[in-house]
Amino acid sequence: MQGNGFKVGAVIFFLALSAWYLFPSFRGLSLNNRLEGMSQEERVDYERDNFSTIESIKEKSLNLGLDLQGGMHITMEVGLRELISELAGERRDEAFDEVLAAADARSEAENVSLIDAFVDEFENRDPDASLSRYFRSEEITRRSSNSEVTQYLQVQGADAIERAMQVIRNRVDRFGVTEPSIQTQGSRRIVVELPGIDDPERVRALLKGTARLGFHLMADPGELNSSLQRIISYYEVDIASPADSLDVGEEEINEEAESDTSFDVSQLLAETEDLDDVGNPLLDVLIPAGQGTVVFGEVAAQDTAAFDALMADPEVQAMLPRDIELRYDANPSSGSGPEYFPVLAVNMNIELSGDAITDARADFDPQTNQPLVDMEMNSEGARIWSRLTGANVGKNVAIVLDGVVYSYPTVIGQISGGRSQITGLASQEESEDIVTVLKSGALPAPVEIVEERTVGPSLGVVARKAGFTSLMVGLTIVVLFMIVYYRAGGMVADMALIINIIFIMGILAGFNATLTLPGIAGIVLTIGMAVDANVLIFERIREEQSTGKTLKASIDGGYSKALSAIIDANITTFFVGLILYSFGVGPIQGFAVTLMAGILASLFSAIVFTRIIFDYAVIGRRLSVNFG
Amino acid sequence: MRIFENTDFNLVGSRRSGYILSGILILLSLGAIVTRGLELGIDFRGGMEFVVESSQVLDATAVRTALTSVLETSPEVKTYSDVGAGGRDALLIRTPTEGETTEIQTRVVQGISDAFPGSDPQVIKTDVVGPRFAEDLKRGSLYAVLGSLLVIFLYVMLRFEWRFGLGAVAALFHDVLITLGIFSLLQGFLPFSLQIDQAIIAAFLTIVGYSLNDTVVIFDRIREYTNLFKTEPYKIVVNRSVNTTLSRTVITSGTTLLVVTTLFIFGGEVLRGFTFALIIGVIIGTYSSVFVATPVVVELHSRSGSARRAVRR
Repeated sequence: MQGNGFKVGAVIFFLALSAWYLFPSFRGLSLNNRLEGMSQEERVDYERDNFSTIESIKEKSLNLGLDLQGGMHITMEVGLRELISELAGERRDEAFDEVLAAADARSEAENVSLIDAFVDEFENRDPDASLSRYFRSEEITRRSSNSEVTQYLQVQGADAIERAMQVIRNRVDRFGVTEPSIQTQGSRRIVVELPGIDDPERVRALLKGTARLGFHLMADPGELNSSLQRIISYYEVDIASPADSLDVGEEEINEEAESDTSFDVSQLLAETEDLDDVGNPLLDVLIPAGQGTVVFGEVAAQDTAAFDALMADPEVQAMLPRDIELRYDANPSSGSGPEYFPVLAVNMNIELSGDAITDARADFDPQTNQPLVDMEMNSEGARIWSRLTGANVGKNVAIVLDGVVYSYPTVIGQISGGRSQITGLASQEESEDIVTVLKSGALPAPVEIVEERTVGPSLGVVARKAGFTSLMVGLTIVVLFMIVYYRAGGMVADMALIINIIFIMGILAGFNATLTLPGIAGIVLTIGMAVDANVLIFERIREEQSTGKTLKASIDGGYSKALSAIIDANITTFFVGLILYSFGVGPIQGFAVTLMAGILASLFSAIVFTRIIFDYAVIGRRLSVNFG
Repeated sequence: MRIFENTDFNLVGSRRSGYILSGILILLSLGAIVTRGLELGIDFRGGMEFVVESSQVLDATAVRTALTSVLETSPEVKTYSDVGAGGRDALLIRTPTEGETTEIQTRVVQGISDAFPGSDPQVIKTDVVGPRFAEDLKRGSLYAVLGSLLVIFLYVMLRFEWRFGLGAVAALFHDVLITLGIFSLLQGFLPFSLQIDQAIIAAFLTIVGYSLNDTVVIFDRIREYTNLFKTEPYKIVVNRSVNTTLSRTVITSGTTLLVVTTLFIFGGEVLRGFTFALIIGVIIGTYSSVFVATPVVVELHSRSGSARRAVRR
């Protein structure tokens, strides 16, 4: 047994680590079971009351791939060709269009960046021609070199992706999907994953349209406040009678919550306080704003759907000031806990469209060092802007992109000449966000869906069952086979196999990987191959035994001689997994991840864990182990 | 229980029959690939795929006829076995038509419900791959396959010597070629899709990894025995190595084949082509370790002169 202390420690350590990472997934399972047992209303209430607990469980649980839970996977491509065209604007000529078309064809055929292909094609055509003929900006003048222009184009390209991300993120937020994921892929693609979507048509329509940026006037604070009071009292009267039954519902949930020791006390207290408000469904979801502001109130992120439903009532709509609609602020108000979004009252008419903006920059006030945004407009835009600001000094103007308000600065004085500044910003981050938004009106790079994979929720359930059945059947067959073939040795190998599966799951949860159906296939395949290490060892042990060695010597020899074959065989498969991971997408990556995790886990459990057991049995307890 | 213990098959001696069998299989595969071609899935060709669930059993041919005029091309229509709750019937419809997904989906659903009133068609799965994206996927897959073959060759060369590297890579080409050939030969005759898509490429790479795993274990034993039995002829040493590892080769292939077959049966329609490739790959890969990779090493060894040179290390 000497020297095994470290090995035992390692096994216990890794098991504990796996358990630690898998614990939230188990809680997630029991949570789902509990939620499934509830009625729709109970469920909504429960989810609201335990918001932060549920969020943290979901965040740390083993993620299921879209093929297992249903949902949409969409790859979008930003139209860089259109962007380059747009940047050249009126300076474009026939030669420019030809070069761009050639570059586009080449970038597709040879997998090079469009901007590089464009510059290359341009220089091939006429090595002396200057690209600066077509582009003009702060940095680019008539004398700029081609490499300066290339760099400028690259920055513009990266910005366009950034803007497209912003627009997509904003649109995705409105689907109310629990865990959307939005990531860039390469230099011009964006991958959006939306679990549990059941109306793909709506998503496609919403994701594709070009973003609309506009400047809007806002509601008169006095009118808005009286509207707010009227709407609150409308709901007060309307729902007063059925309030009793709602009351009972909440108490039941509280009892249930109390029986669960995992809730903290402050949350329970908060719930009890909530009971006072129960008479008014609007006040359940809305924290009304005070007087003298264009803010209607604040709504928690998870309540936006409920709030929208309440406000959709035509009678309520009629109570709002004329031409006014409610829009969310893009930025939640700061604070801990769930995010609260201000609701703003915006005039529905666009006073000035975003395409009037020619440039926007984040900057600092030279005197106060406060962040600010510089904005420039074309001549026509400047004329409208001057009239608009002149007539509305002291009032707010909302910058609305895609129906969401990004900023609503107060007009300090009439602005003529088309150059404006937005000051009083909280941070540099905020100023950069506003610049991104302003530019998305100036340079709308179209976004196109190039790949879509949608799995309906019912198919997700089928896939989940198929995966689980395969796993269980595969495991049972291999476990039985090992016992039949290797007897006691087989049983030890089976224990290693179970530990192996726990490790794989732990690794997946620990690295926040996603479990897909091909991923499960990878685990099942690993079960078949994981015993290989033990087969190699056991065959060696049998060979050693047949030469007449003692059991202990045979075990020693078996392990040490089989080691090099095991390592060599597994490293190559691991390489294949690595290559698969780096080229594949979604489900294939899931397969590669489980394959690699399986190799690491099986090496450890088959070599280290089984050895501990044999050493304990043979040396520690002087038992005889039968290898069949 | 013991099988294949202390065997003494003359596997190296009978390598000629292996060559003949492999030669025939490779010729058949090449012939099939050249004449029948390989059917590319939408991953590599671009297009749209819908799984449409309906409340009554629809005849695939009739649906194809009904949709041909609606879509202006003839779509592929197959039955699809994975269906949601209620045991409704489902069809897989594949079309190269380009355009708005929503619009084409509407045309498909409308086309079916017009031709089969009361069938209540519903789309439960959609896959759309644009032509440009398909090109990228194709390129990525090609790089992955070539990349892994190269990495494997380099690794085996580093760990063993160049003869073993060549032997391993020859076996891998053999495996992938024959699996592709079987896909080409059988396409259209099996009740599930044998189209080459990303999952099939992943399966090929897994086959490559598996076959190599098998090969490396034999090579490891050859390396050990060449040092152990320096005086015996190389062919005898190799044959003994193959025989002593035969039991392990068969057991591991057996357990792997069992789980892969389990996946094939229970894993659902999505995994069927993938697991079918794995089943063929495991069988061919096991065979090739013994009858391709090892003989190549033997041939290279006898051709490069004295039997002692390889023993040097």
